[in-house]
Amino acid sequence: MAKKIDISTKVQQGEPVGVIAAQSIGEPGTQMILKTFHFAGIAATITTSGLPRIVELLDAKKIPTTPFSSIYLMDEAKKDFVKADQIAKKINEVRVNDISRRILENFSNGKIRIVLDKQALEAVDLTPSQVAARISKAYELDAAATPEGNVEISTHTKVLKDIRSISVKLMHALVSGVAGAGKAVVTQSKTTGEFYIESAGSNIELMLPIDGIDKAKIYTNDVFEMYKVLGIEAARNVLAKELKETFDGQGININERHVLLVADAMTSRGHIESIGRHGLVGSKESVFARAAFEETVKHLINAAAFGETDFMRGVTENILVGKQIPLGTGVVKLAVKKQDVEKKSKK
Amino acid sequence: MQAEIINNIKFGIFSPEQIKKLSVAKLTVPDTYNEDGYPIDGGLLDQRLGVIDPGLVCKTCGGRNKNCPGHFGHIELVRPAIHSEFGKIINMLLQATCQKCHRILLNNDQIASFKSEIDAELTTESGAKENSADSHSEAALLKKVKSIKKCPHCEAVQEKLKYSMPTYFYMGERRLKPDEIRDMLMKISDSDLLLLGIDPRTSRPEGLILDTLLVPPVGVRPSITLETGERSEDDLTHKLVDIMRINQRLEQNINAGAPQIIIDDLWELLQYHVTTYFNNETSGIPPARHRSGRALKTIAQRLKGKEGRFRYNLSGKRVNYSARTVISVDPFIDIDEVGIPRSIAEKMTVPFYVTEWNFEAAKALLERTEYPVVVNVIMPDGKRKRILETNKEDLVKELKAGYILERQLQDGDITLFNRQPSLHRISIMAHRARIMGGKTFRINYCSTTPYNADFDGDEMNLHIPQTLEAQAEARYLMLVAEQIFSPKNGDAVITNGEDGVVGFHLLTQDDALLTKDEVAYLLGIAGVREMPKEAKGGMYRGKDVFSLLLPKGLNYELTTKKEHFVIKNGQLIEGTVTKAIFGQGNTMFVKIVSDFGFEALRKFLSNASRVADACATFYGVSIGVKDYLTSEEVTRQKEKLIADTDTKVHDLIISYKNGKLEPLLGYTLRQSLERMITAELDMARESAGNMLASHTDKKNSAMLMSISGKGNIVQFAQMSMFLGQQAPMSGGRIKRGYYTKRVVPHVEPKSILPRARGFVTSNFSAGLTPVEMMMHAIGARSSVIHKGLLTPKSGYLQRRLANAMQDYCVYSDGSVRDVSNNIIQTVYGGDGVEPTRVRFAKTELGEGD
Repeated sequence: MAKKIDISTKVQQGEPVGVIAAQSIGEPGTQMILKTFHFAGIAATITTSGLPRIVELLDAKKIPTTPFSSIYLMDEAKKDFVKADQIAKKINEVRVNDISRRILENFSNGKIRIVLDKQALEAVDLTPSQVAARISKAYELDAAATPEGNVEISTHTKVLKDIRSISVKLMHALVSGVAGAGKAVVTQSKTTGEFYIESAGSNIELMLPIDGIDKAKIYTNDVFEMYKVLGIEAARNVLAKELKETFDGQGININERHVLLVADAMTSRGHIESIGRHGLVGSKESVFARAAFEETVKHLINAAAFGETDFMRGVTENILVGKQIPLGTGVVKLAVKKQDVEKKSKK
Repeated sequence: MQAEIINNIKFGIFSPEQIKKLSVAKLTVPDTYNEDGYPIDGGLLDQRLGVIDPGLVCKTCGGRNKNCPGHFGHIELVRPAIHSEFGKIINMLLQATCQKCHRILLNNDQIASFKSEIDAELTTESGAKENSADSHSEAALLKKVKSIKKCPHCEAVQEKLKYSMPTYFYMGERRLKPDEIRDMLMKISDSDLLLLGIDPRTSRPEGLILDTLLVPPVGVRPSITLETGERSEDDLTHKLVDIMRINQRLEQNINAGAPQIIIDDLWELLQYHVTTYFNNETSGIPPARHRSGRALKTIAQRLKGKEGRFRYNLSGKRVNYSARTVISVDPFIDIDEVGIPRSIAEKMTVPFYVTEWNFEAAKALLERTEYPVVVNVIMPDGKRKRILETNKEDLVKELKAGYILERQLQDGDITLFNRQPSLHRISIMAHRARIMGGKTFRINYCSTTPYNADFDGDEMNLHIPQTLEAQAEARYLMLVAEQIFSPKNGDAVITNGEDGVVGFHLLTQDDALLTKDEVAYLLGIAGVREMPKEAKGGMYRGKDVFSLLLPKGLNYELTTKKEHFVIKNGQLIEGTVTKAIFGQGNTMFVKIVSDFGFEALRKFLSNASRVADACATFYGVSIGVKDYLTSEEVTRQKEKLIADTDTKVHDLIISYKNGKLEPLLGYTLRQSLERMITAELDMARESAGNMLASHTDKKNSAMLMSISGKGNIVQFAQMSMFLGQQAPMSGGRIKRGYYTKRVVPHVEPKSILPRARGFVTSNFSAGLTPVEMMMHAIGARSSVIHKGLLTPKSGYLQRRLANAMQDYCVYSDGSVRDVSNNIIQTVYGGDGVEPTRVRFAKTELGEGD
């Protein structure tokens, strides 16, 4: 048996971890595309996420293209579909549009009638009177259920324009659920068999107070919302998790350290910054680093006008002037200089 | 001359006095050359500004073309012009200050609070003002100031100021002339400028109104002599000629007492030329054009963008000591070697630093007459002499410590090898040189993965590090052996793939037996001078041959669903080599490195690649149509499978139409149906693969490739069974059309049957029907289009990422910080473990931790 060779697993001082992370994340970007080309024609390997999602996350886009949240449930509800479904109904976003066939305006008596879709109404567990109550409460309108199961709103005005504007507003009026939550459905976990709720939108601020949900486990893929509601640490975790999962979904294995570094970089100042000229690169200390990236002239002009100084501490600046970069083996310096030794020996 | 090391660079605005001090010549003649072809004195190519003709001498410094960097000149404008690029800044200053007393439009309290903010900034660690763009709070200030109608200091009522891009300023209705603006700017006090974030020592804003224009040296704007002998001037020179002409005309008109309108018009024209001289893409004004109609490339255009000075010449530089040619394979060289053509090796040089200790060796080297010879000698004063027959003897005599000999490249020299696009750090690795014939670079195919290289015409670059420091860094940090594990995820990326796996797969079969000659042949290739122990009948087991390549005493075991692979004490006991053992992300390499070190792995891989290749050739892996023809039994089963699938889908559709289909959670009925159909079709393809695998002989070449890991069963099934569902990049089954909702007119309108929506039941060996071919083409085209759309996106993403994070590095306390000393992570990755070594960390902590 050969003697065990000691291989250090620790990062060494000066390791340019930023560049390595950037390359590790950027390089598979091209791979993602090239690989799907090789497998052209097989349905299972083609996905719609991938690069666009990565770009969206790193751009720190305010609203994700496909918002999504998972709401986990407390003890009882997670084992009982009926209870879970009740909570889901509280979250499920229902607007007048979703449950009505048409909206009729009667301009002569100033009344608006919402002709309800009975089936749709049943599906979301609502009655016409509930709809009417909700509308009258939220919009301060005079709404009432009619005997034939519709809702009628008295506008108390005969001005055409007002009636129309009310009816337009009514179309999108929230009848039940959480605004922005989208369609919420009870799902069963494949691993634990427990029920939880998935919703095609997210508004965790309003979801959190709902009884029966596990507040500690609520999750949304909307990084900004996470930041707003649960703070920057939560946002950082979501960012890292979303990035990692997007790569995993493409069958690309990236060490989580790289993803974490990106997430940390984007959140280290206490708010979310994008990777780009309006975010991290744009707020760099060095004039040259900014000028060499984008908007060259703008940065140089501002530097001149305000009398900025470039201290040559970063990578780009030093490459520009032909100096050694302060990374890797470049961070190592001599503690004693040759001249000093010579001086001493002379003495 | 020792160049100074730049410590920091301060930006600022030149005052007219500074310009005059810097300038060596006042230029007055709006022309370049006289009739004799000599530069005109006081013209734009005045010899005091430096020279470009090799024959002439600079009148300022006496230097020639090569050692005179050029000197600045200046033009005096009779009427001042605004530096248009600074329009926004000038506007900010005018808005923020009183029109009468020129104090900042803030009362004393506000000033005090503002000052404390700035003081806080000043006392930051660096001791200097933080430069980051967001520290300019002038935008906030401007907002505050806009609503102020009355100066808090002199109580003067502020008139409305309007700024219109790029150089027009109005006070009320009246247009402000540049000289008026200059007067206003001049009266702003230094302390007020500080409040606005401006450093008054270097950036007094009145310098933005130009009455003296700095003219760059001729070296910056060289004129070109065409073949016809005609001179062609640089765009900047053209622009400067324009400025001077107008300036002259303006002067003449003023002196002649011309009416104000004419003077104003000319002044306006002068402003236009100055504006376009700085930036010919200024919005709101037409670009100045060359006679041919091409827009001129002026200062801003020279700096901007991918082909601009910054990104083209400063961030990336051209280098010497480099070579480029086509690459090709050579499985016989080691993984960390590169085959270099003799013709290239003879031209490239490596420095040999002469000291008193290697003096004899240096002398012997210098005296050589055959390759490798010394090409140049560099004297201690930096002069370089080419060695010729005539001066060689003298140089040998002259040689002493401190000289540098530049000798031709030879075996074992350290080189850097690179293939573009350089997407990650392992796109450049150090290889040891191996000089050989031919005209291409040769690399071992194991090392192609990190470069993403193949041999269909790819070209690669080779660099020779010139200093001992660089060579040492390359040798100890960049050598291929060090890069076997990827920084991306710690997987082994340099491995024996494709044919190599197939070769070993055949060699390590349980029944593989070889004769003594065969064994000697295979092991001889690897340089192993040892025979394995004999098995029955004077034959040798293939597994024993493979074992001899392994490091002595290796213990390794891998058990997965599919395989069981055991190496005990350097002997392969059980199992055959497949992609799982040898391919990317395998664990055997980790074991080898942690027990024997990188050198052992490098040796093993180099040897293994040679033997594996020989094995593949020795056994012969060839493919014919026959390998892809299936037995009648399989064909029958396949047809039954397709028929079954058709029935199942049909049943699904029927139950959907009857309303009996149970919807999936979270899906509508229609979506559920689609998902169920897709699942059914996917299952069909999968079972086709399994069917094929279980019915095909293991000795079938196509099957062999799928098992060992060159390709997979899917590709085999596509050729022998059927293609399965085709899909566009947008996901789901192929969809098309508005009303009829059919992909091709050969199917029923609105049909959702498998075949109508891209399910292909033919295979590549039998051929596709026209409709199937169409479906296949839709999928293929869609992916090509996607590839084209996403490639630039991903490139830009990587550029942004690299630019955002390039300054981060690990400090001595294990934290990650940027250059301004902001902490990004307190401990790298949360645990300080290096990504290439994660696999090793596991073994250290014990499995399962």
